[in-house]
Amino acid sequence: MMRLFVFIVFVFLYAPIAFVIASSFMEDGSFTLKWFENVFEDKKIATAFKNSLSLAILSTLISVILGTTAAYAYLKTNMRFESIFYTPIVIPEITEALSLLLFYNFTSFPLGFYSVLLGHIAFNVAFVFVIVKARLAGYERSIEEASLTLGANEIQTFLRVTLPLAMPGVIAASLIAFILSWDNFIKTIFTTGPGFQTLPMLIWSQAVRGSINPTLNALTSLLLLISMILAYLYVRISAKRK
Amino acid sequence: MRFFAYPAILYLLVLFYLPLFIVILYSFGFPNFSLNYYFEVMRPIYFKVLLNSIILAAITTVFCFLLAYPVAYYIALRAQRWKNLLLVLVILPFWISFLLRTYAIMSILTPLGLMFTFTAVVIGMVYDYLPFMLLPIYASLEKITRSQIDASYTLGASPWKTFLKITFPQSMPGVVAGVILVFIPALGEFVVPSMLGGVYTTIGTITWDLFLRYHDWWRGSAISIIYIAAVLAALAIYMKKAGRIEI
Repeated sequence: MMRLFVFIVFVFLYAPIAFVIASSFMEDGSFTLKWFENVFEDKKIATAFKNSLSLAILSTLISVILGTTAAYAYLKTNMRFESIFYTPIVIPEITEALSLLLFYNFTSFPLGFYSVLLGHIAFNVAFVFVIVKARLAGYERSIEEASLTLGANEIQTFLRVTLPLAMPGVIAASLIAFILSWDNFIKTIFTTGPGFQTLPMLIWSQAVRGSINPTLNALTSLLLLISMILAYLYVRISAKRK
Repeated sequence: MRFFAYPAILYLLVLFYLPLFIVILYSFGFPNFSLNYYFEVMRPIYFKVLLNSIILAAITTVFCFLLAYPVAYYIALRAQRWKNLLLVLVILPFWISFLLRTYAIMSILTPLGLMFTFTAVVIGMVYDYLPFMLLPIYASLEKITRSQIDASYTLGASPWKTFLKITFPQSMPGVVAGVILVFIPALGEFVVPSMLGGVYTTIGTITWDLFLRYHDWWRGSAISIIYIAAVLAALAIYMKKAGRIEI
């Protein structure tokens, strides 16, 4: 009984994803790559793809640097500032999105690539901090002390000793930051300006009118697959510490 | 070493906390001062939206709980060699955006002719929020030691009694966390009702309309502040019970 129930719930979780992916390879019941060709030939999609990718890469890079150094400082000092990083995680995304919009309006910051990027970094920093902090909390402090005793200064110790130890945590955090930025929709649409469109926005603009078509299926499948592969890598990397 | 923390903290102060403060300013009528916007968003038309959101969030939470608990129980205590695989299958959707997952459920609901109904919205909500209920319940069930359950059996308690007296009470922190993680964001959910529901209005859709369609930042801010207050109250209750947040 219980097994059957569990099985049905997993079917519920994965059938829609399987269905989108399958239907993006199908035309009248037979296999085709036509819809993916449409995706790759579309100029609008190509621009949005480039936008999404640069957003994800830049916001990951910057938030990983900011979040990792903050996690390090948190563990090395007695500063108890971690709640600053928890609020962005627990606050509903739409609230964060609209507050950014008001902020940009208030400061007359031009809306477009940079306004979106700055917003993405804000929530990514919080996630990176929490993930890297959890990883760094468990390692042996004496190695760092040895490094300092042997004459390395604090920055050298951080770069040569602490950072390599924290690497699995940093990679896990980068993967999460990348996914959250790559498929983000709400914060992007609130903070974007005319002319700057990402892939999730493109999907939204068609899907909200109820018009789903095989090309859109193929595009969504691509995004889903990329996110799922990265999430899987994240699970594998963060499971290794146990 | 302290200076290592400053860039990130400064970043969040400027791009997270200052914007929240600006929302508070607007909710009080910036650049003037007035409480009118708070009174206005208490009016019946807005109240109906609030009621809609609470009903939808409550239904979503109940269904998520009913589906998630047995699955979490199975993965934590019964699954054995399938445990890791099943856990991965729950974690993957947790990190994928609602837009993509709602699109996926939409592609199934469309041929079934269920689109733009309340049922569609509920199915989509449960589909999107299920991992947020499942993971915290799993985490608390996982901590239960096998020997406690065995002891209960040895002392003659039935499986059902063991569950009610031993297992379920110990999973309560996970259940509370799951309820908060589903109910609170579900209240403000925007993507699901607008993609699957047509005209079903919630706090999320009205916020969207006020901000992006009518540029009514004052009423939009007042609604948001009320919503954040509810969120913070729920979190305070949870933190008092569980002591910390895990992801």
